[in-house]
Amino acid sequence: MIRRSMDWILAFASGALLALMINYNSLLARHTTPMFASWVAHGVGAVAALALVLLSSRIARPAGTPPPDPGAKLPFWFYLGGVPGAITVLLASITVNSSLTLSGTIAFMLVGQVLFGIVSDTFGWFRTLKRRVEAIELVAALLILAGSVLIIFGA
Amino acid sequence: MLVYVSLALLNGLVIGTSRALNGQLSTQNGPFKASFWNHAVGALFLIPALFAAGEWQLDAASAAPPVAYLGGVIGALFVAINSYVFYRLGAMDSALLVISGQMISAVLLDTLNQGVAPSVTRCLGVAVVLVGISLRYLSGKRRNRSSAR
Repeated sequence: MIRRSMDWILAFASGALLALMINYNSLLARHTTPMFASWVAHGVGAVAALALVLLSSRIARPAGTPPPDPGAKLPFWFYLGGVPGAITVLLASITVNSSLTLSGTIAFMLVGQVLFGIVSDTFGWFRTLKRRVEAIELVAALLILAGSVLIIFGA
Repeated sequence: MLVYVSLALLNGLVIGTSRALNGQLSTQNGPFKASFWNHAVGALFLIPALFAAGEWQLDAASAAPPVAYLGGVIGALFVAINSYVFYRLGAMDSALLVISGQMISAVLLDTLNQGVAPSVTRCLGVAVVLVGISLRYLSGKRRNRSSAR
């Protein structure tokens, strides 16, 4: 139960990081374009992640433990998460400039993310744990989406 | 309009796919390496797209204030943490929690940036999101208890 709570807090906190990231990236995008700002953020992020890899291998791994088996049994396309990540920026720049504007784009992207979650969990996509999504979870999801829509359009 | 709605919905699926791949990669290589591959591959992928769109703007980027570059550093942390929780919580719960964290933080950030209290509608939105998370948390708890019996 404590472990589950910890995972929940981490996931919630990562959402806060996402909001902060968008806050700074949009500052860069105002000086350039959304796509170029995203490219810079990806480059800076790669360097930062590399620093985290080096730091964590020095600090987090106790002496004597073998390094994790890199890439074992993983198909190469599991390394390509950055491609859909970058496509997101391209698709968003199309819809933000349409009649949907930024608010509508964010709202429908959130709905799409939840739909992905439901389908992915139901069918066990990408080698994840397959499970039945229950009715009460759908109610919770609807509440979270409805609250998000109030936040997006209530600015 | 319908085309753009479909595109934005599709974009949500694209985000989910990215997070699922990074999450699976992190189970084998650890969250920080997953974050590295995500950013390196994404940066490479965007280079031809930038040239095709004629948006190569190194000069303009150097004029931006240094804090504007913080986004990339925070993004590296975000992908690492998100990859770590993804396979532990599943696609649905991790998406719901990230959305909740993002939306509530956006209200706080706007309040700080603009120095104006959030509107009643937005406060109501935060409350509804919190009710949704609590409902999901309690429903999971109850199921755990009944399965333990």
